[in-house]
Amino acid sequence: MRHAKTPNLSTTRGHLNHTPQNWSAPSPFELTDARTSNWVLLRRLLGLGWRYRVGCIKVLAQQLTLVTAGLCILGLTGLGIDVIRHNVDPSATPPRWPLGVAPPSTWSALTVVGTITVTMVGLTLLHTSLRYWATVSASKLAQSIIVQLRTDVYDKLQRLSFCFFDTNNSSSLINRVAGDVQAVRVFVDGVLVEVIVILLSLLVYLYYMLNIHVMLTLACLATTPLLWVTAVKFSRLVKPAYVKNRQLIDRMVRIVVENTLGMDVVKGFAQEQSQIEQFRAANDVIKDKKQEIFWLITLFQPFMAMLTKVNLAVLLGYGGYLIVTDKINLGVGLFVFTGLLQRFADQVGQITNITNRIQSSLTGAGRVFEVLDAPIEIQNPPNAIRIPQARGEVRFENVSFGYDDDNSVLHDVSLKAIPGQCVAIVGPTGAGKSTLLSLIPRLYELNVGRLLIDGYDVKQWNLDDLRGNIGVVFQESFIFSHTAASNIAFGRPTATRDDIERAARLASADEFIIELPDGYDTVIGEHGCDLSGGQRQRLAIARALLLDPPILILDDPTASIDPQTEEGILQAMENAMRGRTTFVVAHRLSTLRRADMVVVLENGRISQIGTPDELITQEGYFSTIANLQQGADDACPSLVEGGAG
Amino acid sequence: MKQDGLSLKDEGGQSGATLTYLRGGDPEAHARPLDFTLITRLFRYTRPYAVKRYFLLLLVVVRSVQLPALAWVITAVIKGPIESRDTIGLIWGVLGFVVLALSTQVVLHFRQRFALELGEAVVYDLRNELFRHLQCLPMSFFNRTKLGRIISRLNSDVNNVRIGVQEVLFVSLVQIGQMITAAACLLWYDRVLFMIVLALVPVLWTIHHYLRPMLSAAHRNVQESFSRVTATLAESVNGIRVTQAFVRQDQNAALFRDLVSNHAENHVTVARAQGTLLPLLDLNSQLFMAILLFAGGYRVLNPMIDASVGDLIGFFLMANIFFSPITNLGLQYNQALTSMAAAERVFHLLDTQPDWCDPPGAIELKSLDGRIEFREVSFEYEPRRPVLQNVSFTAEPSQTVALVGHTGSGKTTITKLIAKFYLPTSGELLIDGHDIHNLQTDALHRRIGIVPQQGYLFTGTVMDNIRFGRPDASDEEVIQALQRLDCLDVIESLAQGLETDVGERGGHLSLGERQLICFARAMLADPRILILDEATSSIDTITELRVQQALRILTRGRTSFVVAHRLSTVRRASQILVIDHGQIIERGTHDDLVSAGGVYADLHRSFKMTAAQTRRQDVVAQDSRQME
Repeated sequence: MRHAKTPNLSTTRGHLNHTPQNWSAPSPFELTDARTSNWVLLRRLLGLGWRYRVGCIKVLAQQLTLVTAGLCILGLTGLGIDVIRHNVDPSATPPRWPLGVAPPSTWSALTVVGTITVTMVGLTLLHTSLRYWATVSASKLAQSIIVQLRTDVYDKLQRLSFCFFDTNNSSSLINRVAGDVQAVRVFVDGVLVEVIVILLSLLVYLYYMLNIHVMLTLACLATTPLLWVTAVKFSRLVKPAYVKNRQLIDRMVRIVVENTLGMDVVKGFAQEQSQIEQFRAANDVIKDKKQEIFWLITLFQPFMAMLTKVNLAVLLGYGGYLIVTDKINLGVGLFVFTGLLQRFADQVGQITNITNRIQSSLTGAGRVFEVLDAPIEIQNPPNAIRIPQARGEVRFENVSFGYDDDNSVLHDVSLKAIPGQCVAIVGPTGAGKSTLLSLIPRLYELNVGRLLIDGYDVKQWNLDDLRGNIGVVFQESFIFSHTAASNIAFGRPTATRDDIERAARLASADEFIIELPDGYDTVIGEHGCDLSGGQRQRLAIARALLLDPPILILDDPTASIDPQTEEGILQAMENAMRGRTTFVVAHRLSTLRRADMVVVLENGRISQIGTPDELITQEGYFSTIANLQQGADDACPSLVEGGAG
Repeated sequence: MKQDGLSLKDEGGQSGATLTYLRGGDPEAHARPLDFTLITRLFRYTRPYAVKRYFLLLLVVVRSVQLPALAWVITAVIKGPIESRDTIGLIWGVLGFVVLALSTQVVLHFRQRFALELGEAVVYDLRNELFRHLQCLPMSFFNRTKLGRIISRLNSDVNNVRIGVQEVLFVSLVQIGQMITAAACLLWYDRVLFMIVLALVPVLWTIHHYLRPMLSAAHRNVQESFSRVTATLAESVNGIRVTQAFVRQDQNAALFRDLVSNHAENHVTVARAQGTLLPLLDLNSQLFMAILLFAGGYRVLNPMIDASVGDLIGFFLMANIFFSPITNLGLQYNQALTSMAAAERVFHLLDTQPDWCDPPGAIELKSLDGRIEFREVSFEYEPRRPVLQNVSFTAEPSQTVALVGHTGSGKTTITKLIAKFYLPTSGELLIDGHDIHNLQTDALHRRIGIVPQQGYLFTGTVMDNIRFGRPDASDEEVIQALQRLDCLDVIESLAQGLETDVGERGGHLSLGERQLICFARAMLADPRILILDEATSSIDTITELRVQQALRILTRGRTSFVVAHRLSTVRRASQILVIDHGQIIERGTHDDLVSAGGVYADLHRSFKMTAAQTRRQDVVAQDSRQME
């Protein structure tokens, strides 16, 4: 069989996907993407920038030196041209010496040009090495911010309670650490620093140009506002088109994914042709949308280019006239202006990018800060009680619980398990069985009532001790992409190989692990060797048993295992339960029958409680399912039909 | 001059990250040397758009002359009217410049638009062709190919091919043309200065040759470490319950910090490579300016040589046009290699031949009784690893055959052979007496209904999904199908009844509901042969009953093969085949097999252990005895 991995299509498109509305009322843990006021976000982002001020100032200084050096090189070239021109044609305007420092009049023109050249070479070399330095330190600044942000968000995520993960879809969370933090850090090095660099370099350019000729400068820059406005307009027009395009692409990919995963259905019903048509339709829409984008782009870019050419024409005409009338120099004036106009246009173009960046930084920041601000609901209490090895007595006292205020899942549950007892929980889907079990290791915080382990309220326990005393096997066990051995040792990475193998044997996992290509050192999980459902569950049981916990929680581990394979796991479960207080959710009668106590949960309330033998004689859910299961298996098919009708 | 190198921020970039993540541990070749066969084949895809293509090539030529021409006009104006202080000539010169500039932009618009359109057209055709081709490939292909790969063929690879067509080809051509024209102009202005330009070319080439690969390698490291970061992140979030229950937060955080720091270091390495390469390239043109100033100045100042200041400025401008494409061409070259690798993968998929095709003159079954016979059928997915060995059995029309056995015993394979997803390696499989080889696959599939194990649904409404097998069915027919299965009430009780959106892969519905919809889908298609894979997962007992009942109605009057996980299903079967290691080890009805006391009887007992009154203590006692 092919184990098709379900790809998470939405992994990287964060802002497009919204947290699914699983709950009618918004839960307090749900990340809403809601807009915190932009000003609040801005202030926090500025605060972030302030924290990295040393790095920022360094980058800023480097960038400004670069701009100045670049301008000097350009200016010197112009000066050189003027020197040559004046020498060839003495009627031409004499060169303007920078800072009024004229070379001794005894120097020949060639000596002057040579000196200028040497200065230029020196400046160029300086410029080049400074650029290396500046590039590296800008990158270091950005990376130091991102490492800090990522670790902070990740660390926070790890400590948030299950409620948080129930209410927020995982791809959105992943995206906050992977993508959104980038947008946040861009605010520091791509917005804050950049804005200052652009402003200051525009000022430098402007200062130079105004110094040469005020009217020429104004004439050449007359189109700049138009340049800017067009860029802003364009990005507003094209952005929704891109967003739409992405959605269309996602839809196309979704068709491919579903087609591939459901290929047997497609082939089985001979629907290849209709799938081809469906795909073509999706493809058509993309093409049409693209056409729209193409028009926008190919009108915008030539138009922008034309604007800069107009500036050049103005420079050539007006500047040419000024040269003819000896108002400005050919080199320092016209030639340098040509270069500066280009740089000016580039910088103005940057402003559009920056406005876009601010927008995405704010969105990203909203999403990142939301995680960072999420309250850690479950924490170690002050003066926590430390109990390395519990006895395993568990008592629920009038426990009620709801994931949010409006919908409560458990009502007034009271029960007590003495050390070593096996408690089976049974009930229809959604009755609150898994929830009940999740309360024991304090994976959720209960709202009403008390849950006592060894006589102490779980809220008084040291959290690590509490969870260390409890082994958990979930309905579907998540296996990490590590070796089999390190997966088993997940809860205690220091465990010896002997311990690991012992746990594996107890969980009947040893037999299949040694048959893996590298035995215990085989990498398994998503990016490794595929395991069957039954193998995964046995591994998960081994993982729980390695801790040798006095309390064991088995949340319906055979739920997705076929009955032929189930036997092996039941055996493992049997071994696992021995000598531990065990809570097990089960549907199958065989498991229920082995329990010391059966708790029937219906709509969050205990409707029946007692030994299996007691309950089978009582009218109720337990006897109904017992009869149904026996009926389906055994003698009376009529009962089944009756039950269904 | 830079606009030619525009790179559309397209879907390629972002989804790239998804795919790296999907692809997980097995990276694919990132680049591939230029290959003429590949290029010609790719070029063939532009053939339907030949007019556009030739027009584009024409525009490319025009554009490579236009840009240097602009610089030439500026020089001419400086040399002519400005030097000779001729105001009227100046006005004419400027007007000429404006007209030329305008024409340049008009050409740019068409050059860009046609290149984009051509690229998109090629992508569109490639995608359709790929998808059509995928539909023809047999199941074996889908079993051995990862989903992520198929998606990247249709998305990121095709996109890289697009960039190859629209950018690399046309942008590079413009820029090379521009360089050639500029070089010709330089030569015409002044031979000696041209030589100086020429002398810098090998320097540039060397810088590129040694530093580019360094930069690409650094980029690749960044991508790899990022996919490690996202993969770990995805695992951490999805496995958070385990992490918290097993108190692993601190270790995980430390591991993650290492990964992130490593990723950051890779970024800084890229910055180092970039910080070396780009300034060095610019250093060239800046140094050149300095050399030019001196050499040019010398020539202008030397009365023996006829050179003017205007020429010198013209030289600066032209040299700029000559140098500026170099950085971009380097990028284009890298992109070309990436496009090559992508094109190769795309074509490789298109060239994948189906393992078999319908023979000429295949029989198109109009009607079917549904008698299925296996004669000594053996099958292997991979050579020398038989999955089925000498399986022989007959299913009479309208019989229900239950297939029982451990995971991996070969029971699903039997159903796949009946559905003609695979052909037997040896032996004969007869349907109504015809060898399945000789049956037209499509026609056969129209007579077969499939109910996959987990109730596979497509995005859309319940109605869409039921109608999947017969898209032309009316609403009434859909409702009738549900009525006949006696589960209309279940569907109608959904939020929007038949119009309920099932969510991605049916995620909004429960397993039981999904199964009922799959049953209805098969019911509506009304096949003669039904293949059904029972869900292994437990469904809560009440829904389970509805599923069981619907299943009974659905199988009535059809030859049905059920991969069974429920005892009740097995009990009702006309015949049970117990499969083990690819062989039928027992066959017969439930009662026969139970009384025969073989493997099935054991299996049955284990099913029934559910019902057995085994006390936990007994088992424990028994276990400990076994341990000793």
